[in-house]
This record gives sequence, C-alpha cells and structure tokens, in this order.
Amino acid sequence: MENLEYERLAWALLYGHIAIIVIGGFITVLSQNLVRALVGLIMTLFGVAGLFFLMAAPFIALMQILIYVGAVSVLIFFAIMLTSAWPGGDESGTISVRKIIFAGLAAIAPAIFLGMAAILKPPPSFLIPDEIEVGILGRFFLEDFILPFELISLLLTVAMAGAVVLAFEMRRKK
Amino acid sequence: MIEAIPTQFIIIFVGLLAVMAFVGLNAIVLVYLERKVAGFIHRRPGPYEVGPPCFPHGILQPFADGLKLVGKQLFTPRGADSILFWLAPMISIAPAIVCFIVIPFGPHLQIVNTNVGLVLILAFTGINVLALCLAGWASQNKYGLIGAARDISQGVAYEIPLLLVVLSVVFMTGTFNLFDIADGQGAWPWQWYIFYQPLAFIIFFICALAETNRNPFDLPEAESELTAGFHTEYSGMGFACFFLAEYAYMVVASCIIAILFLGGFQGPVLPGGWWFLAKVYVLLLIMIWIRWTFPRVRFDQLLNICWKWLIPLAVLNLLITLAVIAI
Repeated sequence: MENLEYERLAWALLYGHIAIIVIGGFITVLSQNLVRALVGLIMTLFGVAGLFFLMAAPFIALMQILIYVGAVSVLIFFAIMLTSAWPGGDESGTISVRKIIFAGLAAIAPAIFLGMAAILKPPPSFLIPDEIEVGILGRFFLEDFILPFELISLLLTVAMAGAVVLAFEMRRKK
Repeated sequence: MIEAIPTQFIIIFVGLLAVMAFVGLNAIVLVYLERKVAGFIHRRPGPYEVGPPCFPHGILQPFADGLKLVGKQLFTPRGADSILFWLAPMISIAPAIVCFIVIPFGPHLQIVNTNVGLVLILAFTGINVLALCLAGWASQNKYGLIGAARDISQGVAYEIPLLLVVLSVVFMTGTFNLFDIADGQGAWPWQWYIFYQPLAFIIFFICALAETNRNPFDLPEAESELTAGFHTEYSGMGFACFFLAEYAYMVVASCIIAILFLGGFQGPVLPGGWWFLAKVYVLLLIMIWIRWTFPRVRFDQLLNICWKWLIPLAVLNLLITLAVIAI
C-alpha cells in the first residue's frame, strides 16, 4: 500500500516535470516577444534540471542551473538587449499554414527518432538510480573519456578565439 | 494519511518556513543596523523617534518601513510587460530562500546535508542576475535598462574569480559539502582556512560585494546617476521583494565566507550556532561599514578591477594551491 502511494507520487512528479518542460517549450516557440520566449526557455531548462534531480544526479542538475540558467540565458538576454527586438518586431506578422506544418514536422522528427531508438534499443539501466559522487564523475571524464572531453574544450577555445577575431574585425571596419 | 508523507518532505517544509522567518527577521535587523551605522558614520543620530517614548532610539523604524511598503499601491507602468514585470521580484526572492536550506548554522542545525551544497548555493545565487535584468527590461524605462545591462556585465564578470576562488578551497578540502568544509577546520583562528588562503578570502569578499550589488559596486542601482536602476519603477511589495532579496543574498554571502574561510560554526567555549551568527554579523557589519565609507567606483574601473586584477590573481591562487597539494 505504502509503495503504491510512493509510486503514484513519483509518477505525479515525473509528469509535473514533463508538463513544465513542454509548456516552457511552447512558450519559447509561440510567444512573439523575444524576452518572453527566453523566459519559456528558462522554464524548460529548469524542468530538465528537475528531471536530473529525479534521476538522482543532483550535481548535473545544479550544473544545468548554474551554466544554462545563470550564464547562458543571461548572455542570450544581453544579446537580445543589444538588438532592437521589441514586441511588434519581425516575428509579429501572420504565418502561413504550410510553414506551421513543416515546422511541426521538423520538431516531431527528432523526437520520434530518439524515442524509437530509446524504446527499441534501451541502454542498460537500473530501476532505482544510484547517486554518483562528484569525484567518480571527474575520474570518468579524465580517464575513460579524456579524448572527447579534451576535444570539447578545444572546440570551446576555437569558438572563443573566433568570437574575439570577429569582434576585432568589426572594430577595424568602423 | 499523514504517515504517507516522507519525513524528508516534512523537514524541508518546516525548514523552509523557518528560513523565511529568518530572512524576514534578518532584513528587519539589517535595515535598522544599516540606518544606525550610516547615522554613526555621518555623525548624526539616524532614525530616532518612532512611536511612543517607551521604544527608544527609533527601534520601531524597520517595522514602520515594512508597514509602509506593505500598504503601498502596486503600480504597473504604462507600456511595461506586466507578466515579466511582476515575475521578476518573485524570481529574485525565491532562490535566495532555497540557498539557506544547505547552510550549516550549527553542528546540529542544518536542514539538508547534501554533498553538493556549495554548488547549490552558487547555482541559485546566479539566478538573481536574471531576475534583475528581467526587472530592468520589463519596466520599459531607460534607467531600468541601463541598470540591467550593467548588472549583467558586472554579474558575469565577477562570477569567474568567485568560482575560481571557491575551487581552490574545494581542492583543498576535496568536498562540496558545506558541513564537512566547516567541520574540517579547528576551533581557533589559526586553524581556519583564512590562514591558508588569505588571498582567496580577500578576492571572495570583493566578489561577494560585487555579486550582491553592494557599494562600492552598486552600479546597477546607483541612485545618484540612475534614480534607482533596475527597480526604478517598482513600488510597494515589488520593491520590498528586491530589497529582501538583496539582504538575503548578503546574509548568504556572509554565511559562505564564514564557512569557507572562518571556520563556520567552529569556535572555542560557546556552542556553534552562536559563533556562526557572530561571524556572519561581523561580516555584515563590515559590508555596511564599507558601504558608507567608500565612494562608488566608475564602471570601467569596476570591470578593470575584475578582469585585470581579480581573475589573474584568482588563477594564480588556484595554481599555487594545486602545486602545494601536488607536493
């Protein structure tokens, strides 16, 4: 009886998070105001962080909040403020039905492919998730997966250098 | 039915209520302290006569301030984005309350003892930047917008040395658990981490001032140039939420400094909780003292301090820490 209660609670939590993610996604896509869209995106990111919490990965959940909500969203906000994206901008006109259908298909396609892959070839997993210590996580990155990890760092460095070069070229043109 | 609720939920629920009371009480005490200390530094008495004579030294002043704020009309300016405008103060205050649940106030006084406590606080204090720029943007006011833009460049810049300094302490202790970090230090001052990491302490303190928008780094609200910056258009409880959040973040920052560098709840003779409160309040008093002593820095100076001094010094501090650990 008690287990059943907990299971119901778990399902309610899971669907609550999924609802937050989906509603946030719709706000992001449908709102005409860029800042409201950003708030929708942040809502989605919070929902995903909550899912990480449910999977007993609090460190990753908090990193999601620290990096995506605290840093990336804020930088996106800064970029929006530098443009003149006020309500009634380019996005506020009517959209044709064809575009809506194509956009819907493009959005559903990756969901279907990933969902099929996850259902047909499920990765080995536990029914009750284990919490993994941060130290083990670090070892995992720096021993087993050192090459992809370093490649990602290289990618970020190249991106940053590219941004700096672009900024200098813009300044020279002025 | 009541047995069906897990104990952990009840602990968190009661803890959150206690934290809200603590945040409110702290705000009352800090408002009074701030005005009295300001008066002392300016050589004037500060708030002095509120209510009947049985309450000397204007001790009712913060309550009068609070009542005034509660009673004021909530006003949405024309052209403002009303949803985001009222969402912003809530986003500002809510994460501040979450931060308190992982702070060990005493050896037995902590709501949730988690292995990622420090990361939790860093993650949730970062949301405040977002709230402030939403507020500045949504109020459709040029001062608000300038305040928001300043807040972003300030918050993003000062987060880097802050994280680097925290990392050097974390490398020393090998844990993100705030209780373990406090527990690993001794009762006497020479056993605290400020003794091993003095540079880290100074950098962290400066960054904490900047992250909580305290003078001399209160550029986002700079009342003498931007009216009130990001909260220019807010009245009544909207303003009060930002105000409460600012004081709550000050208390969180002082708690973190006390835990990372000053031994947390460790101290001779007295029980731990009192030591912790004393350390936090000494740090808060220093923050108030700095506010009424130093003039505000210019914006280019603010960014130069961070990018040219604090970040290189924090990296150096991290490298030295790593070298010492490796040896």
